[in-house]
Amino acid sequence: MAEFAPAPLVVYVVDDDASIRDSLALMLGLGGYATRLFADAESFLVAFEPGWTGCVVADLRLPGLSGVELQARVRGRGSAIPFVIITAHGDVPTARAAFRAQAVDFIEKPFEEIQLRQAIDTAFALERRRIDAAEMRQADAARLSRLTPREREVLEHSARGLHAKEIGARLGISPRTVEVHRARIMEKLEVRNIAELVRFAIAAER
Amino acid sequence: MSVLAMKIIRYLRDAAVFAPCYVLLDWVSYIHPLGPFNITPWNPQPALAIAWMLLGGLGHAPAVWVTIVLADGLIRNFPAGYGVTLVSALVLAAGYTGIAWALRSLLRPAPSLRSLRQLTLFIGIVAAGTVVVASGFVGVLYAAGALEPGAALAGWLRFWIGDAVGVLVTAPLLLVAADPEQRANLWTFARRGETYVQIGLVAATLWLIFAGLGGDPSRHFYLLFLPLIWIAIRSGIAGAIVAIAIVQFGVVLGIHDRSLQTLPTIELQALVAALTLTALYLGVMVDERARAAESLKQSLRLAAAGEMAGAIAHEVNQPLTALANYGRAGQKLIEAGRVAELAEVIGRMLGEAQRASEVVRRLRDFFRQGTTRLEPVPIGELLEAVRRIGAQAQAGAVSVTVAADQDLPDLLVDRLQIELVLRNLVTNAVEALATRSQGRGKIAITASRHDARNVRIVVSDNGPGIDAAGVKRVFEPFVSGKSTGMGLGLAVSRAIAEAHGGTLEARAASHGEFHLVLPIQAHG
Repeated sequence: MAEFAPAPLVVYVVDDDASIRDSLALMLGLGGYATRLFADAESFLVAFEPGWTGCVVADLRLPGLSGVELQARVRGRGSAIPFVIITAHGDVPTARAAFRAQAVDFIEKPFEEIQLRQAIDTAFALERRRIDAAEMRQADAARLSRLTPREREVLEHSARGLHAKEIGARLGISPRTVEVHRARIMEKLEVRNIAELVRFAIAAER
Repeated sequence: MSVLAMKIIRYLRDAAVFAPCYVLLDWVSYIHPLGPFNITPWNPQPALAIAWMLLGGLGHAPAVWVTIVLADGLIRNFPAGYGVTLVSALVLAAGYTGIAWALRSLLRPAPSLRSLRQLTLFIGIVAAGTVVVASGFVGVLYAAGALEPGAALAGWLRFWIGDAVGVLVTAPLLLVAADPEQRANLWTFARRGETYVQIGLVAATLWLIFAGLGGDPSRHFYLLFLPLIWIAIRSGIAGAIVAIAIVQFGVVLGIHDRSLQTLPTIELQALVAALTLTALYLGVMVDERARAAESLKQSLRLAAAGEMAGAIAHEVNQPLTALANYGRAGQKLIEAGRVAELAEVIGRMLGEAQRASEVVRRLRDFFRQGTTRLEPVPIGELLEAVRRIGAQAQAGAVSVTVAADQDLPDLLVDRLQIELVLRNLVTNAVEALATRSQGRGKIAITASRHDARNVRIVVSDNGPGIDAAGVKRVFEPFVSGKSTGMGLGLAVSRAIAEAHGGTLEARAASHGEFHLVLPIQAHG
């Protein structure tokens, strides 16, 4: 983790009540969270970029799109940013809707700060894991791009568990040359043994 | 010592009221006797003894015994000798005490006639108890050799019918008069103009039966059922018992008037018993129904308050949440030593507290009035508020349009309650639209003049609508299977509309349509 600059995690607050927005921004800001405020789902969607990281704290009942519907729209635009739904109507159907939409948490107003912070921290932990995984995939892709076409072929065959002799026969080269290619591949991909190489190859095929 | 003296004085005082009444009733009802004995077709005085012991306590039994002996002496001069009178009076007093005891222990929760169960128990106990009393009394006379075997059997029947009818007619009157709730019904009955027409009709029918139509009175007795049923349906048991007492009085007068002729008095009294049972049952059923309707109205009122409370709880939760957030922020500022910034936060907290108290005031106003507080409300404002609510509830998938005719006068309604009704209707429409699979949901709210005094507001949607059977059902409380607590919404809405003197109806159509008619402010 230390090798990458941590992505900025922001709490995006979507609530039509100005006092709620203002007080949340103040409280969360003093708690060390960066916040951005929106009065409704539509203005959030206008500003939204898929690269945003952090979490969305959205009121369930909003003028226009509801908090749960906003989440669906954001998912539709390819973002997995976690949602925390808050509501002043603590009824069963809304809780069920939020649960179905896989919100991180469903919090009834009025809430304790600790409840909201726990929800936000859970969301942030999810988000960090997601970012780390994405970054690792990116690094893998960068390393793969260093291979020559022939080295890629050798990698693919190695991933299927073939020996140097078999690979050589298929590609029409000597087993010795295969060994040389494999050493180069391991060097370029920064892996230490065949097992790691196979893992890499399988991950690359996805 | 003084407590005991007080008790004795009170006992004697009660007895001093009871005894003359009992003797008087016995004297008045000493008609068509069998021989010289108190075996008559109408005995109201046991009802007095039973009611006294039922309401005042079984300790009055000795006084009852003494009174019965006294009455026999005063009215009939001990027809079978002192000894027989003492013993037969003992049998009567014991029997009446037994009946009072049974009623006391079985008429739960209080000795009154409010439910069908109580009435059935009362009739059963009186019928069975008087059989025992009649057997004992006639048995004593027979054992003393005062009655022939044949006369004893006829006497037994006459005594039983006389006692049973006497108690069935008179005791309910005493029980109802002793029950505060039913006493109020008696007053209502007495104050109603209709009552005097009904009583006049009873009197006229009695005259027809005994004089007007001629012949055997029991042949035309059935005519009395008509006014009795009318009275019982209109005034419940309070009216029924008064009417029965009048009928009994009329029958006794009729028998007296034609005492030279042989009249089938026993048959007449049996008919009075049938009439009495019918009227009592009908009266109690009418009372129970009225009570059930009242309690339903009460629970609807509570449900309206609950809906209101739910709506307002939402309003109150917003400032409370902000208040808690600001409070927590204030704590953090203090921890961080940024005290100078506190003033700003505290100012905002005060603003939120103000906002919360505003909402609470509205809630308090609603509960304080209990009913509706009418004020002139411009229709435009009302529809705009509803459109806003609709815009929040619809969640994008539904369009809400509002249209009102030009120059509509202000409504004269309770703004909060009518907003609640309109919100219920819009929520209902949104839920109806949720079942649509395709196309855009539309809700239209229109207002137009209904008649000189009312405005009609129509909330329609392009959902599936309601069929003719559903039109009635949607207003039934507790029928809806919805889990949101809005299931009562339409029933409550209708109750509110009707409390305003308006109406709320669903129309059977291929699309959803509700018509709300509300009164306007009267001119001048």
